Amino acid sequence: MINHIPEQRIDKKAISAWRLSALIFGLLFFVPAAAYVPISLSINKFDPILLVFAVIPSLVLYLFVGLAIPNLRWQRWRYEVNEDAIDLLRGFIFKTRTVVPINRVQHVDTNQGPIYRKYKLSSVKISTAATTHEIPALDDETATEVRNKISQLVRQVKEDV
Amino acid sequence: MSEFRRQHWAAAVDRLFTAVRQNFVTFLILIFVGTRQAGGDYFVYVLIGTMALTFFSGIAGWYRFQFRVADGELQIKKGIFVRKKVYMAKERIQVIDVTEGLVQRVFGLVKVEVKTAGGGTESATINAMTFEEAEELKRELRANTSVKIEGEVFEKGIGIEEEFLDEWKISTKELVLAAFTSGNFGLIASILGALSGQLDAVITDEAIDYIQGALPGLNNFTLIVTVVIAILVISWTFSFLGVIFNYSDFSVKKTEKELLIRSGLIERKHITIPFDRIQAVRFVEGILRQPLGCGMLYVESAGFEQKVKERSIVLVPFISSAKMNDFFDRFLADFHIPELDIHPPKRAFFRYLRRPSHLLLLTIPVAWYFWEYGWLMSFLLIPATILGWLRYQDAGLYFDSKMIAMQFRNFNRKTAFIRRKRVQVIEETVNPFQERKSLSSVAVTAASGAKGIEFSINDLEKKDVAEIRNWLLTGNHMPLQDAEAG
Repeated sequence: MINHIPEQRIDKKAISAWRLSALIFGLLFFVPAAAYVPISLSINKFDPILLVFAVIPSLVLYLFVGLAIPNLRWQRWRYEVNEDAIDLLRGFIFKTRTVVPINRVQHVDTNQGPIYRKYKLSSVKISTAATTHEIPALDDETATEVRNKISQLVRQVKEDV
Repeated sequence: MSEFRRQHWAAAVDRLFTAVRQNFVTFLILIFVGTRQAGGDYFVYVLIGTMALTFFSGIAGWYRFQFRVADGELQIKKGIFVRKKVYMAKERIQVIDVTEGLVQRVFGLVKVEVKTAGGGTESATINAMTFEEAEELKRELRANTSVKIEGEVFEKGIGIEEEFLDEWKISTKELVLAAFTSGNFGLIASILGALSGQLDAVITDEAIDYIQGALPGLNNFTLIVTVVIAILVISWTFSFLGVIFNYSDFSVKKTEKELLIRSGLIERKHITIPFDRIQAVRFVEGILRQPLGCGMLYVESAGFEQKVKERSIVLVPFISSAKMNDFFDRFLADFHIPELDIHPPKRAFFRYLRRPSHLLLLTIPVAWYFWEYGWLMSFLLIPATILGWLRYQDAGLYFDSKMIAMQFRNFNRKTAFIRRKRVQVIEETVNPFQERKSLSSVAVTAASGAKGIEFSINDLEKKDVAEIRNWLLTGNHMPLQDAEAG
């Protein structure tokens, strides 16, 4: 157990789902550039070169967040649920490993936003008395399975005590 | 208490008093503004009218507020126009607080707050009842419902709860020392400092001329120094009095199942913490207190909604670390003070030294560039490095089959004690630099209030963190070779 690293990966469709949501929300990066156009035009100081300089960093950021990050994030996500604990490993710069003992779990639920729904994905949310944790982007059946497994394990452990 | 009854009528007075106190500043401003204009008399009538309205609604509220204990529940009916019924099951009740506010003390009464998991606190506050009534209510709510069916055992159950097994007080000397070393004055000073910035309107050139005329020998520099010293003295006095008011007459009593904390000079507070709600205990040695070998002891209790500020309950406001073992033995037998045996390794030393400076290294060049004396900021690197050195010295950890103890420093040195069963989550974080040196940071979370409280230590040996994780799941403090074999 001690040097054992969790094995389960999350669903590969997560990359597409995250990419889509990053590409939608990433449009916000262009707000400064977009705002520049009408403001500068209204005071007759529009300068196309300045616009290009405003757009380039936004574009780089947009593509990085939209294309590279979902992939890296997926690569690094590992989880495992066994009779002792829920074990989560994630992060590509700061690697975080979270261990939640099964008998501290208070409730589990699955969530699905509109983008996840499109890809038939769900996330599993685990709450303890102090914190909440999430396993993102499992396909619907797996998510239900994981949720049931956890709640079953919790019941089992609580009966034992 | 199975019949519905009302509170003492002083609840209406309390309501008025609370309304006035909460809106004190508004009142002042209104009086100030209102009386300045023509028709100021008219304004006074409005004010009196509002007060009268508040008072009558207080009386109506008192009339409508009824409570009883029946069917294993605390039942409350209240509300003037919208009738509201609150039912709180005994088993769900987590904490019963008894406070004596100013109004309550005038009438010789107490205020009782009943708190449940996740419930709002407001709805179960009984503002005025006699101490005897409060005791009776407490007894009834604390009585175990399952035992109640068997008559004789029930009687016995009460007897045990009532008996005080032990008591801890702080001496006057300790109280004064606590007040002297309270760190609050820094906070108050910064508030005063910010306020004094707003006083430009008052501090005109004439005013300064007048002061300089009255007190010869003051130039600009000494004037500033005087003001700074004055601010410090005033804020320190406030913080001194604050501690005296809050913790005079302090005592912790122990019964079979609970700890009872009582304190306060003007507003007296009683807090009841059942042992099985205690999540963690925290010993905080303030910068000024650590040299005296003293600190403040907090207890984290879980499950009921608390304001963020009140999440931790002060268990003992001032205690010397030498007495801690004695205190734990007598009041918190689940915990003990161990020898911390796990420390960050030597190769983490420079990481500790550098860590507090990281933010400074980003801001110094900016300050240097923009301000004439910005380069002076680089002197801050010295205290930052000293802080890092202290943090390295203080970081330490211990665990056995029952509990974990973690010592660390942000500014004050803190030691947290958590029972294994109460550890909710353990989180290990590794950044690329730590990875190279096989170090990792660990954060242990316990429940506190409606949320959690996290204790973390940076740059521990990676193997040690793996061991802590293993300990959380199995309770074993395994020697490492065994662990690797298994």
